[in-house]
Amino acid sequence: MTNALEIKDLVKFYGKRQALNSISLTVPEGEFFGFLGPNGAGKTTTIHSITGLAKYQGGSIRVFGYDAVSDYRQTRALIGFVPQEFNFDPYLTAEQILYYEAGYFGVSKKEARRRAAQLLKQFDLYTHKELDYRKLSGGMKRRLLIARGLVHEPRVLILDEPTAGVDVDLRKKLWVLLRELNQQGMTIFLTTHYIEEAERLCKRIGVIHQGNIIALETTEKLIEQLGKHVITISLDRRFPEIPRELRQFGIELAEDGNTIRLTKNEVHLNELLKAIYAQGLNVTGIDTEKTNLEDIFLGLTKEK
Amino acid sequence: MNQFIGFRALLSREILRFTSVFKQTLFPPIISSFLFISIFGYFIGRNLTMAENTPYLTFLVPGLVMMYLIESSYQNTSTSLFIARWSGYIQELLVTPLSYVEMVLAMLLGSMVRSVVVSAGVFAVSLFFERTAIMHPWVVLYFMFFVSLTFSSVGLLAGLIAEEWEHISILTTFIMTPFIYFGGVFHSAQNIPHLFQVLMQFNPIFYMVNGMRYGMIGVSDVDFKISMIVVLVFFSVLFSVVVWMFSQGYKLKK
Ligand SMILES: Nc1ncnc2c1ncn2[C@@H]1O[C@H](COP(=O)(O)OP(=O)(O)OP(=O)(O)O)[C@@H](O)[C@H]1O
Ligand SMILES: [Mg+2]
Repeated sequence: MTNALEIKDLVKFYGKRQALNSISLTVPEGEFFGFLGPNGAGKTTTIHSITGLAKYQGGSIRVFGYDAVSDYRQTRALIGFVPQEFNFDPYLTAEQILYYEAGYFGVSKKEARRRAAQLLKQFDLYTHKELDYRKLSGGMKRRLLIARGLVHEPRVLILDEPTAGVDVDLRKKLWVLLRELNQQGMTIFLTTHYIEEAERLCKRIGVIHQGNIIALETTEKLIEQLGKHVITISLDRRFPEIPRELRQFGIELAEDGNTIRLTKNEVHLNELLKAIYAQGLNVTGIDTEKTNLEDIFLGLTKEK
Repeated sequence: MNQFIGFRALLSREILRFTSVFKQTLFPPIISSFLFISIFGYFIGRNLTMAENTPYLTFLVPGLVMMYLIESSYQNTSTSLFIARWSGYIQELLVTPLSYVEMVLAMLLGSMVRSVVVSAGVFAVSLFFERTAIMHPWVVLYFMFFVSLTFSSVGLLAGLIAEEWEHISILTTFIMTPFIYFGGVFHSAQNIPHLFQVLMQFNPIFYMVNGMRYGMIGVSDVDFKISMIVVLVFFSVLFSVVVWMFSQGYKLKK
């Protein structure tokens, strides 16, 4: 299987300021990849390097095997790009924006017209097709931006925060759409600040922080490795410290003195409960909590 | 993938751009050329003759045709590219598979369409005052073609370099307009003091105006073949610079 994206040791400076610190990252064809990181981490910079909007000082980028600099025509034809900010042609209507975009990518007039109409319908923009894009609402502009990225039928779709400022309803619709595109074989590279979104959609996740990739894993593994399973047990008595008989379980005593916390140690749960009963204690409540990607993400980016 | 389709799409977008704002792009030169021709050519210049006994009106028309050709070319590309940068639309173009040469050529040709339409319009206005035949049509076409490409390239440079809208109008006011006016649009080199005659020869627009004048009425202050070479040299240099800047991503890429 070929790789849709292959980034090797990418180094990018803005003047003297280093934005990307030799990052490497591979996205196989057909994958739904999530690219996360706090504001200013370098997500947009990475994407701009791939699409040809930023020059980079070191490393290489390959798109389906083509070099993003020397074979820029091939790589650009293969990429669909949905930028973070609106960058529409100020002289065109919604329909013309799609039609001309298709043209720039070499799609014949007739086919361009057909695709523009089809995408306008698919994105609920058909009744606004004659409008100057400035007269569209924020959500409509977002939709038009995504439609524009699809009009030349790219093999990899790169989205830079496509769901920023989008209402819940539209966000859910976009999730369905992205999932569908991915199922049809399109590789998807998604940047988002909504961790829930990444958790739901992405098969693999890369986390970038201050220009370094600090995690690169399948979503499942990321949650499994770094996620915690916390079990809180409330007891019917207060303790100044953990009773000696329970210390071997590696538990924590909460400040209130009658709740104990067990982290990750699911295997010992049964033994622990037995030991508790053996002490003549009673369990008054039990609560379990699993950390989600959001906590993991916060933990990762805070430590550094 | 068909590269020609992409090029044609950008070319037609460029044409659509200036036609969609035709009140700003096509009307003003037609109206002001009408004023120039009627006031200077017809009212004032009626009893005036220039070199080789040419009536002033006849002498003025080719100058005006060239002036508006130059102005429209410069304005078209500088505005188009500046707005493309300012609105972010240029980024849409830069991620398409269009090559830099194709982008530049499509913008230049789009601009040429506008300036040819404008200069034909200026000529049409002059026909209300005087019917003139064009003496050397091929020479006229040559100058229209290359001068418009040359100043469209200048416009692209301005559109690239400008950081604010003001920079474009500053260039127009302080460089373009003086060079055009001193380039012999309204007068012959033979009517002015010697010092200015010498200075004029360093003004590339002098050759362009005179080339056009030769093509239209057969009168020129300088051999039209020299004018042809000057224009070609200017165009080649500017075109190469512009394509090079695009390929380097100067002010286009971060
Ligand atoms: N044009 C530029 N000139 C100088 N520095 C820049 C430029 N663009 C980005 N940077 C800097 O590079 C770093 C990475 O920015 P980038 O836009 O890639 O972040 P991001 O991860 O996309 O953030 P966000 O989530 O806010 O969009 C930031 O420190 C930013 O200030
Ligand atoms: Mg960003």
